[in-house]
Amino acid sequence: MSDVERKTFVVTRFDPDRDEVPKTQSYEVPCQPDWKILDALNFIKDHIDASLSHRWSCRMAVCGSCGMNVNGEPKLTCKVPISDYSDTIEVAPLSNFPVIRDLVVELEGFLEKLEAVKPFILRAKELSLDEGTTRQTPEELEEFKQFSMCINCMLCYAACPVVANEPEFLGPAAIALGHRYSLDTRDEGAAVRSEIFRGEGTVFSCSYANECSEVCPKNVDPAAAVNQAKFNSVIDWATRLVLPRGGEK
Amino acid sequence: MAPSAHPRAMAPARPGRTRTAPPQTAEGWYAQPRMRRYLLFDATGLVYLLLGFLMLRVTWALGSGRVAWDRVLANFENPLYVAFHLLSLVAVVFVAVRFFRLFPKAQPPRIGPLKPPPAPMIHGLLYAAWIAITLLFVTILCGGLFA
Repeated sequence: MSDVERKTFVVTRFDPDRDEVPKTQSYEVPCQPDWKILDALNFIKDHIDASLSHRWSCRMAVCGSCGMNVNGEPKLTCKVPISDYSDTIEVAPLSNFPVIRDLVVELEGFLEKLEAVKPFILRAKELSLDEGTTRQTPEELEEFKQFSMCINCMLCYAACPVVANEPEFLGPAAIALGHRYSLDTRDEGAAVRSEIFRGEGTVFSCSYANECSEVCPKNVDPAAAVNQAKFNSVIDWATRLVLPRGGEK
Repeated sequence: MAPSAHPRAMAPARPGRTRTAPPQTAEGWYAQPRMRRYLLFDATGLVYLLLGFLMLRVTWALGSGRVAWDRVLANFENPLYVAFHLLSLVAVVFVAVRFFRLFPKAQPPRIGPLKPPPAPMIHGLLYAAWIAITLLFVTILCGGLFA
């Protein structure tokens, strides 16, 4: 216990029944050296102030629940060690999202955007079981695999300057997941998604700030996905314009 | 937290049952090193805007005769113009280097049977093209071509 270090956590609080706007509250926390930020928040919840609300689940950077702003940077709080920070640590809800309570943000807007990009395999006709399995080579898998690693933690949305200013923008994770299916050789919906991506507030709203890729805790590259989707949308549009029947085989 | 995000950012189409606080942005977000670089990139737009106006003025002078053209050239010797052109050069180099760095990963994994070359090769080609075009323009401006 001799390694315990006291740190001050300045946590954003918001009670929708009482507060007009969010405020901050400070807590002195005796931290163990191997703690992550989430451990300290759980300590506050368990031992200091049971009214603190925050989301978390797996504690191993898989579920994507515990994304918050730590000293102004979007972070997965179960992944960042307390030792990375000085004696005072500010924890706030993710930027660019409505705040439900304390550190909990409203995710419904994201789910609507995700649904809009059809993040599932689209096929004109499903194969019957008699026709066997759909084969995919390791090289084909490699083309989209990194985009499958997204855990929907929303750090990319909190970092994106376009999300902050354009409410209709689909955003990095939704576009990356849509693009992931367009690259999948089992999918036949790339043209459908290209049409979606050519709409208002989609890939062409992205100014390629690259912030989404910088903050991603799973090393996904959403900025690459968004800009590849731009390229594919233009190629798809030009093909439809030039070739008879849009180049359909 | 400072309320600088759009009030409807990431809001659902229909409000939920609970009242929410409007989306916010981290205090001092503009001071973070990564954001400073991005803001600097955005700010180069102002330099290009001014360069655009300058181009219009130069083009206008070109069509207004020898005297107007000579006056523009004389103005360019003013230290303010020299400083502005140096700033423009820095802005162009900064944007070009940033663009070259991000360009390879924006390429689709393949177009039909064609795959893009590896990122270092794309970088090399971009820089080679940049140097070649710069040398071509320097040669033209020094009277080496079309003299």
